[in-house]
Amino acid sequence: MDKNMALIAVAVIICVVICVLSPYIASGDPDGLEKSAEDSGLAEDFSVEEINGIPDAPFPDYAFADNPDNQPLQIVALIIGVILTLVIGYGVAYVVKK
Amino acid sequence: MHIPDGFIPIVQCLIYYVILIVALYFSVKWAKSNLDEKHIPLLAVLAAGIFAIMSMNMPIPFGTSGHMVGGALVAIVFLAPEAAVLVFTVVLLIQALIFGDGGITALGANVLNMAIIGGFVGLYTFKGLNGTIGKYPAAGVAAWLATVIAALACAIEMGIAGTFPMNIGIPSMVLYHFFIGIIEAVLTVIVLVALDKFRPDLLAWNEGDA
Repeated sequence: MDKNMALIAVAVIICVVICVLSPYIASGDPDGLEKSAEDSGLAEDFSVEEINGIPDAPFPDYAFADNPDNQPLQIVALIIGVILTLVIGYGVAYVVKK
Repeated sequence: MHIPDGFIPIVQCLIYYVILIVALYFSVKWAKSNLDEKHIPLLAVLAAGIFAIMSMNMPIPFGTSGHMVGGALVAIVFLAPEAAVLVFTVVLLIQALIFGDGGITALGANVLNMAIIGGFVGLYTFKGLNGTIGKYPAAGVAAWLATVIAALACAIEMGIAGTFPMNIGIPSMVLYHFFIGIIEAVLTVIVLVALDKFRPDLLAWNEGDA
């Protein structure tokens, strides 16, 4: 197999393994920034300034919007993200190199 | 440390977007003269890998969690923070638009912290320590410091934004990312060891030796 195809194949396998495990084993605790906001007593829906017109994300929090706790669907959402990032990353690298 | 929409006033978001555009200008210029054919898939898999690993939040003390970021890793692989700017603009844009992780308005600030600050601190710490303690320990320390300094920058931005005060934000962000940085260091070194073993030709630090 071509060396670059092998690189992509190995990377995709590692990414898929992470995507399959993540919904089950990733910690649901707040991250460093969320926790720092909590430490300062901010409400969860805090906003320093009203910002309108931002479209809803199709997969909010890496899940399907109408079934956010379904872990197999979270895997699907993550894998969609990996493929999208790979394809767009490839496209951007290709375009900027030219 | 993905800053969401609403944490930074729009006027300040625009300033961070200007920084992003300037950074992208230099990064595209860098890419044109420094990337070759084999780097296209490398950049793509680093972006995909960073997207995936960011979903893997690991527990740290204080009921908090954190994940690898990867800005230092990309900068060290290419020996160029410009590569991190390209990778993170792609990853953070997809995360903001498709997954609601990190704000669209905060994209400039998020690229600044994770790619520009993370990439520069990571790369120059690595370069500074490489000769004395060896490349893998240097990369580990660089990745750790990149995480902590990016978190510090984020806390300062939150203070300027008026979201939370620096006297609480700075100690909190630095403390949590002191631990998150350890995750960053371990994973950064693992990826570099694996690349050096299987595809040493992809690492900029090997160029010229061949």
